[in-house]
Amino acid sequence: MRNQIEFEVSGKYALFTDPLTKIGGEKFSYQVPTYQALKGIVESIYWKPTIIWYIDEVRIMNVIQTESKGIRPIEYNGGNTLAYYTYLKDVKYRVRAYFDFNPHREDLVYDRNEHKHHNIAKRSVQAGGRRDIFLGTRECQGYVEPCDFNEGKGFYDEVPEVDFGHMVHGISYPDETGRPERETRLWPVKMERGIIRFIRPEACVLTRKTGEGAAKAFGSENMESVDHLHEQLFAEGEKA
Amino acid sequence: MSWLANLSKTYDNHTEAIGNFEKKRNGREYALIPISHTTQSAHIEVILNGKGVFLRAKVIEKEEGSTIIPCTEAAASRTSAPVPYPLFDKLMYVAGDYEQYVGEVKKHTPHADYLEQLRAWCTSAYSNRKVESVYQYLQKGTLIADLVEYKVLWTDRQRKLLDKWVQEEGDESKEKPDIFKVIASDQSSAFVRFAVYIPGDTEPRLWRDREVQQSFIDFYNEQLAEKDLCYVTGEQLPFADKHASRIRNSGDKTKLISANDSSGFTFRGRFRTGRDAASVSYEVSQKAHNALKWLIDRQSFTLDGKVFLVWGTDRLEVPDPAEDLFDYLKEEEDDSSAGDISHREHALEVRKALSGYRYDGEYKSNVVIMTLDAATPGRLSIVYYRDMNRELFMNQLQHWHETCFWRHRYRKNENDKYVAFTGAPATKDIAFAAYGPRASDKVVKGLLERMLPCIVDGRAIPIDIVRSAISRASNPVGMEPWEWEKTLSIACALVNKTKEKEGFRVSLNKQLEDRSYLFGRMLAIADVLERRALGREERRATNAIRYMNAFAQRPGRTWRIIQSNLQPYQARMGTDARYYNGLLDEVGSMLKTEDFTDAPLSGLYLLGFYSQRHDLYTKKDKGDTTQGQDSEQDNNQDSEQDDTEE
Repeated sequence: MRNQIEFEVSGKYALFTDPLTKIGGEKFSYQVPTYQALKGIVESIYWKPTIIWYIDEVRIMNVIQTESKGIRPIEYNGGNTLAYYTYLKDVKYRVRAYFDFNPHREDLVYDRNEHKHHNIAKRSVQAGGRRDIFLGTRECQGYVEPCDFNEGKGFYDEVPEVDFGHMVHGISYPDETGRPERETRLWPVKMERGIIRFIRPEACVLTRKTGEGAAKAFGSENMESVDHLHEQLFAEGEKA
Repeated sequence: MSWLANLSKTYDNHTEAIGNFEKKRNGREYALIPISHTTQSAHIEVILNGKGVFLRAKVIEKEEGSTIIPCTEAAASRTSAPVPYPLFDKLMYVAGDYEQYVGEVKKHTPHADYLEQLRAWCTSAYSNRKVESVYQYLQKGTLIADLVEYKVLWTDRQRKLLDKWVQEEGDESKEKPDIFKVIASDQSSAFVRFAVYIPGDTEPRLWRDREVQQSFIDFYNEQLAEKDLCYVTGEQLPFADKHASRIRNSGDKTKLISANDSSGFTFRGRFRTGRDAASVSYEVSQKAHNALKWLIDRQSFTLDGKVFLVWGTDRLEVPDPAEDLFDYLKEEEDDSSAGDISHREHALEVRKALSGYRYDGEYKSNVVIMTLDAATPGRLSIVYYRDMNRELFMNQLQHWHETCFWRHRYRKNENDKYVAFTGAPATKDIAFAAYGPRASDKVVKGLLERMLPCIVDGRAIPIDIVRSAISRASNPVGMEPWEWEKTLSIACALVNKTKEKEGFRVSLNKQLEDRSYLFGRMLAIADVLERRALGREERRATNAIRYMNAFAQRPGRTWRIIQSNLQPYQARMGTDARYYNGLLDEVGSMLKTEDFTDAPLSGLYLLGFYSQRHDLYTKKDKGDTTQGQDSEQDNNQDSEQDDTEE
């Protein structure tokens, strides 16, 4: 596929917080990353408002284990408190993702050069991402490297099916849906031979409205186009 | 699956257990509670007939007080503001003549609220005729009067309920009435439950009647009108506003699911309310929490507030990963070649011991391991969670017991005698071996949690635990002999686990040329030789034992000391020492000259020490005639050093 990237992301800890445990304050991780968490990682690798990333599938390489740590959350009114957060331990995922142009960004039509965006994305994967990567929460640093999705031995390769029940798929934001509201999406998660194949966000039937919002405006005045950047970098007429 | 889904599935798989009380070892009763219900201990039982007429009443004995009562969400979390339970409650709620006998209730109208709630139930489509007779009776408002007349409750001269039972002067014959025996505070806080006798009906006890329970569940379900997307089932269902507390025990205030973000910014930002962030259906929340409480009562282990729980979602019974297999393994005969069993035999034993927990054709069945703890008094946290395939779990457990093993002598059999067994030590015993018997519960519970992944995931044992056990085992003078023996054998098991690939066994490996192992063997020979020379009566520690700690740190230098100290004993034994001297030479010659240094010994030396000593004490065919010198010591555990020498 022309606009697809594959990469491996790993880290010592990960915390894809189960929303049920988040509202009370004692965070506990989902067993596997959510669509939204992976999308965030891909967006940290490379993103522009022109494009929307979609996650095809994720391969769980390591056995799913948890470990808890005592955490001192920030009390904004002063004072001290203690919480036990439960993290996933020693995680490694292989991810396959692709991008499409954001149809709700008519203002950025001038930046739609698929080939160039794809090459930038691939180079960004090589470099380990443009921004720092984190697995679910900020304190869980992750590391990205290019890989072949199907290579290597995963712990669940021989396990026909693992059912994770319903999980959060992600949150739909106004700039990608065109609707002035936020929606939380849920979906039933199944892992087959270590691989979770995600459905597209618009295919999620279980949604609930969780707030309003508006898309931020972008234009040539606050965003540089890829073609322009290319001209700048290769002013001497070199071919990329 | 997620923890909530797994718990609610466990509830669904065990509906036949709902409402069946079982007794814990300490005599306390517990049961799987139906949804929309909870338990309370009742003090007074009022018996009515089908027309709502008072028949009799009695005081319930403490052991029988546990009662399943219908419960609304609001009542479950009631605090100082009175919110009535739907059917059974305290006198303040159920008795219409409460003010008359106790005093005015300010601001609130508990009895009116109670009657209103009960009326709604009785006039709904889900009404039950036994509940109706309770309603009929309570409308009359004569409950306390009837109870006083029936001599269940007691009044003073002003016809108020007695606060305390005071023995009347000159009349000691009167016994203290039962109600004062079962109730801690005064009579007015007594909790009442009802039974209704209807001819032809088999279950008069309303708190045990499945029909009454179901009728309330249906009635209450209708009340929960507002629906939301459930994050566990993915369906539009009535959502739970509040979730259960009292999960670990009846005095526990912590909750697994709570929402509180008035200050801490736990979820605010994208969401305004807790419900925006996540919602769970009432049914799932009830089922999951009730199942969890039931499982905790049934099969958990609690230490310093931390709950360790393992269960199978289909079949509850699962071997506890933290336990040893002592009760299942074959007892070893003391005087046979105990400990010499081959690795294959040991593996066979483990397999046999675990076979009772294996079931065929359950490849999809799961085992859940869950550990709960609270950092603060309000919130409960899941600190460890594993949802794994039963087959995989059993395989991991088997692997653990097959690899982290040694020969132990600290467990007693049913005749209260210490017997030897070969196997993996229980996690708690590892904790005491590593941190000493006076280790605080906090430290021990931390270790228990850290050991779990080693057992169920086959991860390496944290090196600090192994090191700590080794260094404690190297310091025999600091402990009672039996305690040292226990520490030593557990340290050996841990070292053996870290050397899993080499596959060490209890029986002596005479070919192994590892430096630490050989030094350990020499230390054991010196120990046995001196013990022999000292004779039966002398119980002081040998030089080898006394220098063990230093020996582990600087074997080269210390060995010279031990050897020179050994000389008088060799002399005393004369020709009897020949065998040992020969052995010492043999082992010593295996030690390469460049290895005879002061570099500290690895944990392997403990294995060499144990195996060599074991070998010497169980040897049957040696040429020496040193029998009859065993010092039989009183402490049975001590006899490790002295047993079986014929």
